[in-house]
Amino acid sequence: MKNTTHFGFKQVATNDKQSLVRDVFNSVASKYNLMNDVLSFGAHRLWKHYTIASSNVKISDKVLDIAGGTGDLAIEFRKKVGDSGQVILSDINAAMLNEGRKNLTNKGIFGVEFVQLNAQQLPFDSNTFDCVSIAFGLRNVTDKDQALKEIYRILKPGSCLLILEFSTTDSVLLKKFYDFYSFNIMPKLGGIIADNEASYQYLAESIRKHPNQETLKNMVLDAGFDFCEYHNLSGGIVALHKGIKV
Amino acid sequence: MQSFAIFWHKQAVILERALNHLVINSRVNIDALNGKTIGLSLQDLPLDVHFICANNRIFVLSATDKSTDVDIKLKSMIFISLLQGEDLTELLRQDKINIHGDAKTAQLLVDLLKEVDIDLEEMASKHTGDIIANQLGKLTRKFNHIGTQSNNPFKIIKDGLSTLLINPIKSKRYKHKNS
Ligand SMILES: C[S@@+](CC[C@H](N)C(=O)[O-])C[C@H]1O[C@@H](n2cnc3c(N)ncnc32)[C@H](O)[C@@H]1O
Repeated sequence: MKNTTHFGFKQVATNDKQSLVRDVFNSVASKYNLMNDVLSFGAHRLWKHYTIASSNVKISDKVLDIAGGTGDLAIEFRKKVGDSGQVILSDINAAMLNEGRKNLTNKGIFGVEFVQLNAQQLPFDSNTFDCVSIAFGLRNVTDKDQALKEIYRILKPGSCLLILEFSTTDSVLLKKFYDFYSFNIMPKLGGIIADNEASYQYLAESIRKHPNQETLKNMVLDAGFDFCEYHNLSGGIVALHKGIKV
Repeated sequence: MQSFAIFWHKQAVILERALNHLVINSRVNIDALNGKTIGLSLQDLPLDVHFICANNRIFVLSATDKSTDVDIKLKSMIFISLLQGEDLTELLRQDKINIHGDAKTAQLLVDLLKEVDIDLEEMASKHTGDIIANQLGKLTRKFNHIGTQSNNPFKIIKDGLSTLLINPIKSKRYKHKNS
């Protein structure tokens, strides 16, 4: 690994990135769900709905949601796998996991396990899961290649990885609007609603630093996956990558 | 042709859900296909799909350059006649279909596709923009039915809304005529 890496548009020591990301999510945890709805105009729910619809998860499956935060995906996976299945909601950040726990309890969802972990070192046996998901989490991970390799290891043959993440739009008009919105409006809203302009500035910057659709697809294949394809959502502002381990 | 490729890409998701719906409800048994990767391409349309069968489920992917265990190449009209019950061996004998690999596996896939509750025949037979737009409504309706696996009107509306917002081209409300 290189000695420095990006944290938004800043270059920081690789060893420092994890704690900087932790600070961001510590500071937004309590307002995270509200901000998600406001900033995406509710569209994050639809992107997640599409992710679940593409998951191929069924009754009795074992599913791991990485960087799961407040647990939106875990809730839906829990409904799909039933009592005979297993869903683990995991995140590196204890504050986010706590929000997840509260959210699930408030929604009457029980039976989901919570594990605090770093996507780069997954504490599970090889060939364990039928599906692993990571939504809006990969761009925060310091060593993405390592995380992808770990995910590949713990997936069973005949199972899939789903990466839902901000991506790159080809539409010039959409890009203009999106750039203006994310660098001028989003941080301001973060300041007003969550009293945290800097974290939402990081959010906007980290999206721009994240690999585009094709680069991420190649990273998934390089990690060992036999197949990978992606679907652009909302004109490519978000993409869902699906990696298959045969 | 480009619009058909995009159109098909989205349909692969629908087809995958439909096939797995059959597996989940024990309407088909895919044991014999376990571990197999099958490529299906229509020679007269930019349609190239891989079916990956493993872990008692099927993945449908479009456009990959990975090699497959069995490769089926045929014209769209022949594909339609297969789905309508034409004998695969007979078509093979007449050189109307090109199979690399085990023909029995190909037959199993064809049998599976025949069971699917979406109109593959129409999908393959009509490929001009207007007709595609027309087909989308029908497919989306079937997709909603399969996808929700319930008669819950709220879920159906939610699915429809998702389709409209994140994949407008697939929506019933999609009025734009592709050229
Ligand atoms: C934007 S939130 C996404 C939460 C949730 N998946 C969603 O879609 O609403 C990103 C999450 O990634 C987590 N995260 C960041 N780095 C991580 C790492 N290395 N391993 C696991 N989780 C990480 C953060 O703590 C945060 O909860």
